[in-house]
Amino acid sequence: MSVTRPSLGKYICGMVASLAVFLAGGWLILAPFALGYQPYGADWVSQTTNDFVVGICVAVVALISFALFFFSLLGSLRASGVIAARPRRAVPAPVETAPQAAAAPAAASNQSDLDRTLATLAQALAADLNARRQTGGDAQSNQLTEQHITNRRDA
Amino acid sequence: MRAGEVMRRLVPPGSYVLVLCFLTGIWLTISPFAMTTQPSGQHWIASTVTNVTIGSILMVVSLLGILSFMGFALRDLMREAQAKQLAEQAAHEEASQAAL
Repeated sequence: MSVTRPSLGKYICGMVASLAVFLAGGWLILAPFALGYQPYGADWVSQTTNDFVVGICVAVVALISFALFFFSLLGSLRASGVIAARPRRAVPAPVETAPQAAAAPAAASNQSDLDRTLATLAQALAADLNARRQTGGDAQSNQLTEQHITNRRDA
Repeated sequence: MRAGEVMRRLVPPGSYVLVLCFLTGIWLTISPFAMTTQPSGQHWIASTVTNVTIGSILMVVSLLGILSFMGFALRDLMREAQAKQLAEQAAHEEASQAAL
């Protein structure tokens, strides 16, 4: 059985590089004011604008890169079993274990099932009753006819 | 393992973002000359020194990040391939011994 060993060095390298780039971006934002080539109180010169905009972009991109490497690291640790895998959302449980909030729709569904079953049962009963009535009516009319014939014969 | 899978393992999304940093480093290095904020034929002014230095640092650091990740990932791939080969050999030997 092969054991997957997580190698964290590559992710650490990526994260360290991202962090260094982030620091460089921060310095770019501060440099015009720290080095004094942006006159105080005056409009921003072109170098200041360039450094500031590029510095913000670099810092944001470095943060994104850091986050991506970090999530890759987490994924690798999860894959190797160091971190417990995320529990998947449970499939909606049967009626007995369902939470109270889900009980209402389940009850409505059960009610409609019950209604349908009862309606089918009532239809079957009605059909049976009709059939019995017809059979009973036929038998009664037959009995009446036979009695009539017998009475005639007697007469 | 397919080539796409190998590429995905060698170049993660973070490396693509570091490529952006590399390109930004190139722009920072050439920006004083492209924007003509550095007077021609004179000593470099403070902003030029800053931009060229930070741009070079950005290029070097992002390249190092990309290449080091690629190197480590390649080493991991080689190790996995070796382990797989050893496991297959062991299974083959066990099967041949069982047959005898």
